Order: sequence, then C-alpha cells, then structure tokens
Amino acid sequence: MDDLVNVESVSRRFPLDSSPAHHSAHRFVCALSDANLRVSAGEFLAISGPSGSGKSTLLNLIGCIDQPTSGRIRIDGVDASELQPNAMTTLRRKKIGFVFQTFNLIPVFTAAENVEYPLLIQGVPRDERRRRTEEALDSVGLSTRAQQRPDLLSGGERQRIAVARAIVHRPALVLADEPTANLDTHNAKQLIDLMRDLNIRLGLTFIFSTHDARLLEHTPRIVRLIDGQVISDTCVEGVCHG
Amino acid sequence: MGKFLLLAFRNVFRNRRRTVMTLIMVGGGVTGLLLVGGFFAYMYNGIREGSINNGLGHIQIFNEEHFNRDEVRILDTGIDNWRQVAAIVKSGKHIRGIAPRIEFYGMLSNGVKSSIFMGSAVEPNAEKGLGFSTNITSGRNLDSQTGNSVEALLGAGLAKSMNVKPGDSVTVLAVTSDGALNGIDVQVVGIVNSGMKEYDDRYLRITLPSAQRLLQSDRVTNLVVGLDKTENTDSVYDDLAPRLHGQSQKLVLKKWIDLATAYKQIRSLFNTIFIFIGVIVFFMVLMSSVNTLLMSMLERTREIGTMLAMGTPRGWVIALFMLEASVLGGLGATVGLIMGNLLAFLIDHSGIHLPPPPGSTEPMLFYVLHVPSLMVGSALLVILSLVLASILPAVRASRLRIAEALAHV
Repeated sequence: MDDLVNVESVSRRFPLDSSPAHHSAHRFVCALSDANLRVSAGEFLAISGPSGSGKSTLLNLIGCIDQPTSGRIRIDGVDASELQPNAMTTLRRKKIGFVFQTFNLIPVFTAAENVEYPLLIQGVPRDERRRRTEEALDSVGLSTRAQQRPDLLSGGERQRIAVARAIVHRPALVLADEPTANLDTHNAKQLIDLMRDLNIRLGLTFIFSTHDARLLEHTPRIVRLIDGQVISDTCVEGVCHG
Repeated sequence: MGKFLLLAFRNVFRNRRRTVMTLIMVGGGVTGLLLVGGFFAYMYNGIREGSINNGLGHIQIFNEEHFNRDEVRILDTGIDNWRQVAAIVKSGKHIRGIAPRIEFYGMLSNGVKSSIFMGSAVEPNAEKGLGFSTNITSGRNLDSQTGNSVEALLGAGLAKSMNVKPGDSVTVLAVTSDGALNGIDVQVVGIVNSGMKEYDDRYLRITLPSAQRLLQSDRVTNLVVGLDKTENTDSVYDDLAPRLHGQSQKLVLKKWIDLATAYKQIRSLFNTIFIFIGVIVFFMVLMSSVNTLLMSMLERTREIGTMLAMGTPRGWVIALFMLEASVLGGLGATVGLIMGNLLAFLIDHSGIHLPPPPGSTEPMLFYVLHVPSLMVGSALLVILSLVLASILPAVRASRLRIAEALAHV
C-alpha cells in the first residue's frame, strides 16, 4: 500500500534571539531532528511525548503549515516541500482536516456554519454543503446544536464541532494537535473514541498528538518523541488500520 | 459570497463599542460634508438666481460683431430690427419675456460740474416683467408712460458727486451713431445703490426711447431673455440658436453662465474649499480606520491563522477585510446621510440667519439644500477611504505565518 504520509529525514530548527552575544552555533533551537515517519491511509496514529518534544512541530510540518529546515515530506504522493504557496494552500484545503487544541471555531459563525466553512472555500454548491454539513454534525452527535454559536457550547461540544469541521470535506488526513488538552478526562476519552469511531466507520486517517498516556490505551499505533527525536514507533499488530 | 458577506457583517459587530465609535466618526464626516456642501449649493443657487434676476437674464442675444471688434461708433455692433428678433424669440417655449438694452457712455452735467457716466437704457415694463430688481435708495424707478419727459436713475456715488437728488434736472451728453454730439435734459427720479462703489460712481439709467433719441439710432446693444426656469436654459438655447440662424445679421446667443463671471469665480473658490474639506474628511477617516482595522486584525490573529490553515486562499482573507471595511463604510455613510439630512431639515426650519456677506446689507438665511449627488459622493468617499484603510491590515493578515498565528495568544 502507498504511504499517505512519508516524512523523510525531516529537521526543523527555529532561530533564537539574534543578539550578537549568542554564539553562532546556538542561534537556533532544534525542534525536530532527522525524523522519519510513514503513515498509510486509514491509520489511527498518536504522537506522544512530553511538552516541547516536537509533537506540534511534526504535525505542523505534516499539515503543510510549516516548512522543514531539511528533509522531505510527501502527502499522498505529492512532495509538499517543493510546492508553491498557492499549491500548498490547495493541498491543505482538499486533503487535510485540522483539529486544534483550543478548538479555533469562528466565533461569529454558528456550529453549522463553522462545519460548512471548508466546503464553502472549496466552492461546493449550497445544497450539497447543507447536506454534508448535516451529515458531519450527525456523525459527531451534535445535530441539535447546529444553530448555536460556539460561545454557547461546552468545551467538549466545541471540540466535536471542530472534528465535524475537519471531516466534512472527507480529507485524506485529519490532524489533531493536542485535541484533548482543554477537555476534562471524560470528554477527552469521548473525543478520542469519536475520532476512532470515525476512523473505523469512514476510513479516515487520523494523526493526533497528546501527552496524556491514559488516552493511548486503545490507540493502535503510537509514535513517541523526546527532544525532537522519534524514539519509538509502536504498532499493535493487526489493528494499525481502521 | 453570501456567507462571506455575512461573516464580514458579523465581524463588524464583534466589538460593538469600537464599531459605534467608528460609525460616529465616519457618519460625522458624511454629515459635515452634507451640511457644508448643501449650504454651498444653496449659496450657489442664491448667487445664480440673484445674478439672473439682477438683470443678467437666462440668455442674452448679441450681434456677432459685438464680440469680434470694438465699436467705432456707438451701436454700430448693435442689433438691427430688434423687434423682429424679439418676435422670433418670443414664439419659443419657456420664454417669460424679452428686455432690450442699450449700453452707452457720455458725460453728465448739472450746469456747474460735469462727470462721465456709463449708461444703460432699458424698457422699464420689460425689466419689471422679467422680475429684474434695482435697489433704489431714494425716489422711484423709471416709468415707461411719462410722455415726453426723460427720466433717469443715477448711481449713489454719481448723484453725490454731481450733488443731485430726485426731482433735479441734469443734462446728458453723448456722441450719436453719426458721430455728432447730442444732449438731452433729464429729470433724476431715483438714486440706485448696487453695493459696488465703482459701479455706483458711474451708473446712469434712462429709458430705451430716450436713449435712442439721444444716440439717434434704432438699434439696441443686446436682448435679454428671461425664462420660466433656469433649468430650461440649455433646451431654450438649443431651440433658439437654429431659429435665429439665417437672419440678415449674424446673431450670437450667450447663456447666463457664460456671462456670470463673478458667479463662476465664487463657485470655483468655494468648490476648492469644499474639496479641501473633503480631503480632510477622507484622511481623517482613513487614518483612524487604519488603527481600528489593525486592532481588529491583531485580535483575530489566531482565527485568521485557522482560516489559512484550512486552506482559505490568502486573497480571500484580503477580500474579507476589505468587505468588512466596505460594510463599515456603508453603515457609517448611512448614519451620516440620516444625520446630515435630519440636521439639514432642522436648520432649514430654524430660520437661522448668518451675517451679511461682503457687498450686501441683508443677513443671509442659513439654509442647507438636499443634494442627491452630494449624498452619493460623500458616501462613496468614506467607503473608499475605509477600503483604502483596510489594505494594510488585510495584507498583513494574509501574510501571517500560519504556525505563528495559531500559537498567538
């Protein structure tokens, strides 16, 4: 099977304070070092590690919202590191769905309008948008909250709306950066279960990051990062794919 | 597009206090422009109608030679058979009346002292019929039905210089159309004060038959045509010009605007002032809106980052900000139009008078006209100003680094 995501020897360094007092060798901090990762379509994968281990950096690079300092990332066979900005925008729009730690819903839109947004920017016709939005809301169990603004929803509901928004256009890949960090244990578990359910039912590929080991019990594949380096890639045999 | 317009509209009302402040500022600018522009328009109308009713008329007819060369002898560039020309003109639409005039010059004597004058001969009834007014400070106006006696109006300065008052007699001397010197005795019946000293120091007015007798000519200098409405000037001009073509003498028509030099100068001056005010309003709205829109952009950094991460084209982000600015500008303009028209209505019904303008002794009514083109122009000006103000924040927003924007607190 072809890899949906192929991370090859990817490093990401960020510049530090540029004051002359710093020696040239210490002007950068290495957030990710020589990382390699292959993810097949339909996988449900967790990237775990403590804060500052490079989880978000790796997800940003896979999500094409950041560029690696070195190495190469292929998404669905396309070399993302060689794409022009507009092509990269198109790639994100069509192939990737995002779930953020702080939900990042558009506050002036209703839940339904938030879910509809990815379809809107893809130019999907109105009736089709409405139908798919209803389906997505239904799949996260929030059809009844469709007309509520985000500020009237609970944290768990907001994150489920964010998941609906991430899957509404049936992307090849859904990336969730610490999606449970702002949720209590009960809601966090429910969210992971929801994502796993969508992974199995719809065949969507999920990559999410977390530092909470309790959420990894039922995750078939876990990649562990420490200090920007992949230290393990554990796959429960036979259940990596949904 | 509909959803984006909705998003822009809702974004405008996110921070209501800031939006209200912006609307007050934008609306205030539009209100100011409407009041100033409306007052200027009223003033232009007043000066225009004043000029026309003070004797300029709507259209004047001259012999073409009048503009090609100076007179060698009095009235040798005048209109021949003026009654025939007047009859042709009078058969047209919108014509209220025609007043023949003779402009001449000569010398005035009271037996002891002489002074030069610039004379004007009129048909009093025709002038009265057209509503042309003369500011007579003492005595009375000329009368067409006074038999053989010759009446005259003198400018205040000339009367003072000649030491004459209504009821006194003076001798008017002028060169006839044949080049001979002629003189007639006239009775001063009134003193005129036009408000312009140079004019009043040389002003003399007699009736048309008296002037024709003095100058020994049947010609007139020009025919002044009065219309029912100033707005009909162009259509009457277009109708008259071909009908007067083909006469034995070549006649030319001049619209009031071609002859109202003072009106054009005043209008030009006040238009410049208005443009200056417009530029100030434009930059006031522009500078303060840049700040408002930049604040709005900074507050929404993470949200913009999210939109960009989801694949929103950067051009759409720019368009969204410009759309928000347009909505804000449109709402501000609406507030300004409502406020401006309301205030104009109150001013128009308050009866407030301003001090007399230069050259006038009458207080000026403070009145603001409701000018549709001014409303559209003012609204477009502030909308344009806001759209321009949105360019910087819009471009900044579109160039945000997504990863950094998502981490923005």
